[in-house]
Amino acid sequence: MDILSDLFAILIFPSGLFLLIAGLLYEWADRKLLAQLQNRIGPRWFQPFADVTKLLAKEEVIPTGVNPYLFVGLPIIALAGGLTAALYVPIGGVAPAYSFNGDLIVTLYLLSLLTLCMGLAGSNTMDRFSLVGATRTLTQLFSYEAPFLLALLGPAIVAGSWQISQITNYTNGHWLVLTQPLGFIVVLIGLMGKLELPPFDAPEAETEIVAGALTEYSGRGLAMFRLGKGIEMVIGLTLVAAFYLGGVSNPLWFLVKTLGLLLVVAILQAVLARLRIDQTVGMWWRYGALLVLIQWLFMIGMRVAI
Amino acid sequence: MMEKTANEQFTVPIGPQHPALKEPGSFRFNVDGEVVTGATVRLGYAHRGIEKATEGRNFVQNIYLLERICGICSDIHATAYVLAVEQLAGVEAPPRAQAIRILVAELERIHSHLLWVGVAAHEAGFDTLFMYSWRDRETIMDILEGLTGNRVNYSVNLLGGVKVDVDEQQKDTILKGIEFLEERTKHYLDVITKDAMFLQRTRGVGIFTRTQAEVLGAVGPTARASDVARDVRVEAPYGAYKDFPVNMITEKGCDVEARFVVRIRELFESYRLVREILNKLPEGELTARFPRRIKPGEAISRVEAPRGELFYFVKSNGTDKPERVKVRTPTICNMTSVVKLAVGHQLADVPMILVGIDPCFSCNDRAVSIDHHQHGREDWSMEELREYGIRFYHGHT
Repeated sequence: MDILSDLFAILIFPSGLFLLIAGLLYEWADRKLLAQLQNRIGPRWFQPFADVTKLLAKEEVIPTGVNPYLFVGLPIIALAGGLTAALYVPIGGVAPAYSFNGDLIVTLYLLSLLTLCMGLAGSNTMDRFSLVGATRTLTQLFSYEAPFLLALLGPAIVAGSWQISQITNYTNGHWLVLTQPLGFIVVLIGLMGKLELPPFDAPEAETEIVAGALTEYSGRGLAMFRLGKGIEMVIGLTLVAAFYLGGVSNPLWFLVKTLGLLLVVAILQAVLARLRIDQTVGMWWRYGALLVLIQWLFMIGMRVAI
Repeated sequence: MMEKTANEQFTVPIGPQHPALKEPGSFRFNVDGEVVTGATVRLGYAHRGIEKATEGRNFVQNIYLLERICGICSDIHATAYVLAVEQLAGVEAPPRAQAIRILVAELERIHSHLLWVGVAAHEAGFDTLFMYSWRDRETIMDILEGLTGNRVNYSVNLLGGVKVDVDEQQKDTILKGIEFLEERTKHYLDVITKDAMFLQRTRGVGIFTRTQAEVLGAVGPTARASDVARDVRVEAPYGAYKDFPVNMITEKGCDVEARFVVRIRELFESYRLVREILNKLPEGELTARFPRRIKPGEAISRVEAPRGELFYFVKSNGTDKPERVKVRTPTICNMTSVVKLAVGHQLADVPMILVGIDPCFSCNDRAVSIDHHQHGREDWSMEELREYGIRFYHGHT
């Protein structure tokens, strides 16, 4: 029975099939919301499914000058990283499938795997657009990752644990967005940077470097990277909602809170122009890191006072 | 592909096929990290042989051919050509026709500038402004469709007059549309000059000094954004611009922001002009009698296209077909500025600088110099060209 429930958790829910579908649906919701804000009609609900199905059915072209094992392997690792991360996160408002002390750090590491894989995938090819894109992807990773991580550790400190299930136990009923507003802002914008959404889409700015690091990818590899992005969006939104918005104790709250966050993200995407990569780095280290540090000082001050 | 030597420069090719360009043009940027250290441009991918084609058609047919040089500023091409031919024939279009010509020219300028605002915003990754400005641009497209029957190639001009008239109902529709657009344009000016994120991408980027603009012979809004007062409508008013004077719009910013602001302020000037023309439209005939054969002679005409000065040279030999038509579009004058400005900027700024001149590649591809090593030979027989072509492509595969 134990093996069966393990297989269920890995293949169907919360990871596996459910997450893949949820990722595509959230991708659709994001695109649709952004389209509506920009006075466009936007895609129909099954468009991401159709795109991925079509990509999976297509031939994967392996360009000359790449290491073919890396080229094929990186998208698989990226997708696997995302799927594994989901096991430790309260996806769908249900308690995480697995839990151990310190799983927050593991989850965050697994989430960064996608970006790392994209950077490596870009550097692996000889294409100039991919190389510039990979440089930008990794540069961006180094700029948002530290403030993002520090901002997610804020709730962990308040809850007194680095275990996601214990933190969510604490945050159920505690709206940390009220007590840690700076951390919330940083984490939400950090999530946009992680997902390379506008204004942080310099790594895939089509008017400069075509599709960035993934320019040479087609067929299965591209489909897996896209699935990985969708998954990362769901996990990221879940984490933010669970930590800062009073927890996701049941499926309804999960839907309402993550979609509410998605709306905020879509509005930010619509009103902001793309940043240059040097501006992105400057912004994160000048303001993002500073905001988190102020938040931390405040928290430490409160702890000492109490 | 694998053996990349250490001193080889890292070149990012933009074009001939690239998402930033909607038309084929090839730019090669040498980059050091993100900074551009060198730039070259290669044009001629969309050469269509239109100048040669004009020699096989009569003067009337050529209006429709030349209108198709540019998809965005089609009307101004026909106007420039018609003005030159009228000069040759010694016929002047009636005042009402002249006024309607510049009315359509100004409506076209509005449509072209609104289009540019959208494209430039898209290059900066500000797609919301892109979508909104193009939505509002539909208003002007509808006006043009109502007035002329076409959304793109309006075919307003005839030799010695115009084809369409403006009645009271159309006048009301146009004025209403212009009023709506003026409100929206005020909003865009606000966004472009106040949006902090967008200003980071435009303010101080692509500084094109006044001296550079003068030396490189920039024209149109590109020059005016560098404080060079150069506008054919003001310097040498043609047609009805003598009766409806235009105010010169210049900006001192010299950067991409100034190029935005100059075009937006020109929109306001165009709205004013359209209103004035509609309110003071002279009465009278729409066409004058025009001869079929044009007496021998040469004529040039200069007009202000949305992108800058457009130049036409027409030579007649006494038949009903021109002997030579030469076109110089504004893009070719501004192209050198891109190569000059890109050096020293970030790669991310290059699309903004490129689009800042509002390039129109198919329009600017005229004649191509075939071979620099043939000691100035200009006449080639078909057989020689064929052989040269075979040799050329053998050398390149």
